[in-house]
Amino acid sequence: MSKSTLIVIDQPPYGAWAGREALDMAFSLAAFDQRVSLLFMGAGVNWLRKSQETSEIEQKSVEKNLSAAPVFGVEKLYADAAACDQYSLFPESMIAGVVITESSSELIRQHSHTAFAG
Amino acid sequence: MAAIPVQNYTLVITGAPYSSQAPQTALLFAEAAITAGHTVDRVFLYGDGVHLASALVTPPSDESHWPALWAKFLTDNAIPGIACIASALRRGLVNESEQKRYALPASNLLDPFTIAGLGEWVEGTMTSSRVIYFHGGG
Repeated sequence: MSKSTLIVIDQPPYGAWAGREALDMAFSLAAFDQRVSLLFMGAGVNWLRKSQETSEIEQKSVEKNLSAAPVFGVEKLYADAAACDQYSLFPESMIAGVVITESSSELIRQHSHTAFAG
Repeated sequence: MAAIPVQNYTLVITGAPYSSQAPQTALLFAEAAITAGHTVDRVFLYGDGVHLASALVTPPSDESHWPALWAKFLTDNAIPGIACIASALRRGLVNESEQKRYALPASNLLDPFTIAGLGEWVEGTMTSSRVIYFHGGG
């Protein structure tokens, strides 16, 4: 197994900061040419919603940050299927390029290193 | 019992002292690892974990002073303790050079902690045999 990192985001995009810092970890690995993918699970799948409108809460939308992931060299964006169901997040309301995974535990096994931001 | 192979650890602390147990658990882990003959390459503070490196933390005298205990452990064992610069600046933890850069009224980084980028964590993931995370939870 070649060395690769799975960064897990399990917190919602707004109301918590840890997800943003987890995204920075992923970008940082990619900047150093390390293999990295992101897994969104739990409330974290809400990161993947299209057309987020955040002006009313005076926060920057995370959508633009996340759309930069492939550009920075993040290999894959995974979403946990059960969490998508739980939050009624369907493929048509998701940003492009997300891979739905039925087994997060299998995904974690496929990577040599897993990290949560907090 | 077969001997446990010697590990060299990078420890990542993301939970703040006094709002989580992460710094305490990490310190006990680090002490146990060194006692058992392992090494700790570096300690990286990320997110709320950067509060551990504040020189202004002042708990009541009958409570453990986690920043001071960590600073002594790092110094005694010559282990680098690094606070992520982006996390630190957001939370008001600055060294003298960042104080000058942003024209701030004070600096508060506790010796021997330093401030650096996430590249230090990336290097840990590349070179240490294990990277262990201590989160605030909740």
